[in-house]
Amino acid sequence: MNYMPGTASLIEDIDKKHLVLLRDGRTLIGYLRSIDQFANLVLHQTVERIHVGKKYGDIPRGIFVVRGENVVLLGEIDLEKESDTPLQQVSIEEILEEQRVEQQTKQEAEKLKVQALKERGLSVPRVDTLDEY
Amino acid sequence: MARCSQNLIDSQAVLEDYFLENESLPMEEMAVGAVNPLGKMDCIEDLNLMEQGPGEPCGHQIPEKASRIHEEEDAKEEGEEEEEEKEENELGDPAVLSAIHGAQRGDKGSPRLKAPSGLGMSPVSLHFLCQTMDYLSPISFRSTYPSASSPARHFGPQLPSPDPSLFYSPPASWPPRFSLPSHQTQLHPQHQRILQKQRQEQQSSHKHQSPRVGKLWSQKPDPYAGLMNQREKDWVIKVQMVQLQSENPELDDYYYQEYYQKLERKQADEELFGRRGRLESPKLVTPYIQKTEDYESVVRIEGSLGQVAVSTCFGPRRAIDAVSHGSQEQDSAIYNQKLQVLYRIEKMFLQLLKLEENQKGMLAKSYFYELQRKQLEKIYQELRTGDQDNSEEAANGFLQVLSVRKGKVLVARLLLLLPRDQAVHLVLSITSHLPFLIRRDTADQALHMLFKPMGKCINLLAFSELLQGLQGLMVLQPGSQERPITVVLQNQFGISLLYTLLSHGEQLVSLNCSLTQHSSSDLAAWTDMVVLIAWEISHMSTASLAEPLVVPSNLPSLFCRYVDKQIVQQLEARMDYAPVATDLTYLGKLSCPPTYQSVRAEVEEGKIH
Repeated sequence: MNYMPGTASLIEDIDKKHLVLLRDGRTLIGYLRSIDQFANLVLHQTVERIHVGKKYGDIPRGIFVVRGENVVLLGEIDLEKESDTPLQQVSIEEILEEQRVEQQTKQEAEKLKVQALKERGLSVPRVDTLDEY
Repeated sequence: MARCSQNLIDSQAVLEDYFLENESLPMEEMAVGAVNPLGKMDCIEDLNLMEQGPGEPCGHQIPEKASRIHEEEDAKEEGEEEEEEKEENELGDPAVLSAIHGAQRGDKGSPRLKAPSGLGMSPVSLHFLCQTMDYLSPISFRSTYPSASSPARHFGPQLPSPDPSLFYSPPASWPPRFSLPSHQTQLHPQHQRILQKQRQEQQSSHKHQSPRVGKLWSQKPDPYAGLMNQREKDWVIKVQMVQLQSENPELDDYYYQEYYQKLERKQADEELFGRRGRLESPKLVTPYIQKTEDYESVVRIEGSLGQVAVSTCFGPRRAIDAVSHGSQEQDSAIYNQKLQVLYRIEKMFLQLLKLEENQKGMLAKSYFYELQRKQLEKIYQELRTGDQDNSEEAANGFLQVLSVRKGKVLVARLLLLLPRDQAVHLVLSITSHLPFLIRRDTADQALHMLFKPMGKCINLLAFSELLQGLQGLMVLQPGSQERPITVVLQNQFGISLLYTLLSHGEQLVSLNCSLTQHSSSDLAAWTDMVVLIAWEISHMSTASLAEPLVVPSNLPSLFCRYVDKQIVQQLEARMDYAPVATDLTYLGKLSCPPTYQSVRAEVEEGKIH
């Protein structure tokens, strides 16, 4: 805001910890090191956080360069309040397992739904884009 | 842990040195170094993120080779530095720091691109990495732009480093001075002052914060801060500013300009109230450029039918104008006529917008008044006559304009700008054709936007003109039993207008008590009118009577004077005196007529949907 009053800019967010939500549904947490005019981001010490229910798991990923158009939103993380969460951190294996189970139940529910619709003579076209999550 | 960091240092140094110096290294070593960068990163992550002890020990065979390579390169200088930094900073990664140092000294020069095929990466990604490395090795890195200015500050005390220009951040340099050439950014002098003030504030607030924040961060200073140096930040800002340039900010950036003007007005008001220390908010000032390129919005190719959509950089797909330039269509007369009306409205609207824009811009320049007057005259003529000379046709044209929603908006805004006589003329033609307009308006329900400007004009009416207007309502139409007033009373706009007229008449009559002011015939006509209207209202069922927008407060007294008790009672039952007409009484007082700006603003904001 100091540089260009009345506008929004990522310049003030540099070197701060951010949570970035990508279009494919991934959640990345890392230090924003560099930007450019397209809002391409360079994230440092990035961690991919997977949430399942009340549990989450962190997968360390290193340095990420994200193309700007794939970012849904990003926000600064308050480092003091970061640990102040009701969520429970679990290990990577556990969270991946939880995720798999969740995906499976979702798929089964979806299959039942499609089956029920088919019996009634309706069909929902498959959504093939990646934006659905 | 020290060993791990040693491994990391070496492998990092290997990577960076390769790209900076571009010496071809033995293939297998490079493959090793390149193939497992992520593995090394994991090690760092564990260290830094988890804040725990040492992570998993990394592979052992790599450090040996890496250290050999490391020694091959200019190990002396960097080795020394790394020793120092390792001692001082246990958690950081001095390799990256050393890379920055090396780059900073500028002894690496520009990396030449040579992609050995044995490397695990494609030439493209190599090229990209080189480019990112470029950011670490800017062309000329001078101490005037300390790179770690703001971010390093955020993380508390700086780690002592052998290169003070890199990490020392003199507070006076933040926010950074604009290094951009003057013709590109014009910082308002107030803006400069504000930035300085903010700098000082930041300093003081930082001093406040640092004991608290510093505690949190003193154990973990951020060695990676400042990867994006000031020059690059300025560059990004420059690019963004370029995108904001426009030659007509009032048009392109309307909302920000309006917002800023509102803010300034509010601050001026606050200052007026005696509040000292006016907070000046900074304004985004972008340079105004002259767009030298002129492009044709509509391209006509000879012999073609219609228009061609031309795509330029200003508009990838230019919309084809909705106006037909070609020959008139002969097929449907009604369709044609409707189009003609719409076309006229569009033309007049453009003229009106230009006029309003001029008025907004110019404050008090006399020759602009002349220009405005001429423009107004043009619009008025267009509205009244179109192409016709016959007054009947002219009225018709006017009514057709009013039948369209946009036409109503146009007339509402125009009424505020027109001189008195012309405005009165329009108002009278509206009132005389009110039933027709009401019938045409059932779809839009948009007549309400005319109410305010018409109310303002009504207060300027002379008595005779007022009578003329009212008489138009009472005239029995040929071929129908009822008077127009019945239709008017059933419509909200109509009844509100009627009340406004009556109120104004009452005002005129009561203001000038001497009967010589108005001719006796006028007064007689007025009395008859009032009685008739009262009769009509009382004989209409309450259900069908429309709820007026505003009920002027002087109406009951008016009716009481001219009409007998029985009817007055019925009138009272029908007219709710509850909504106190503050607007109308204020307008009616005529002591201080509402300012042009306020009424116009209200019309634009409130009434026009």
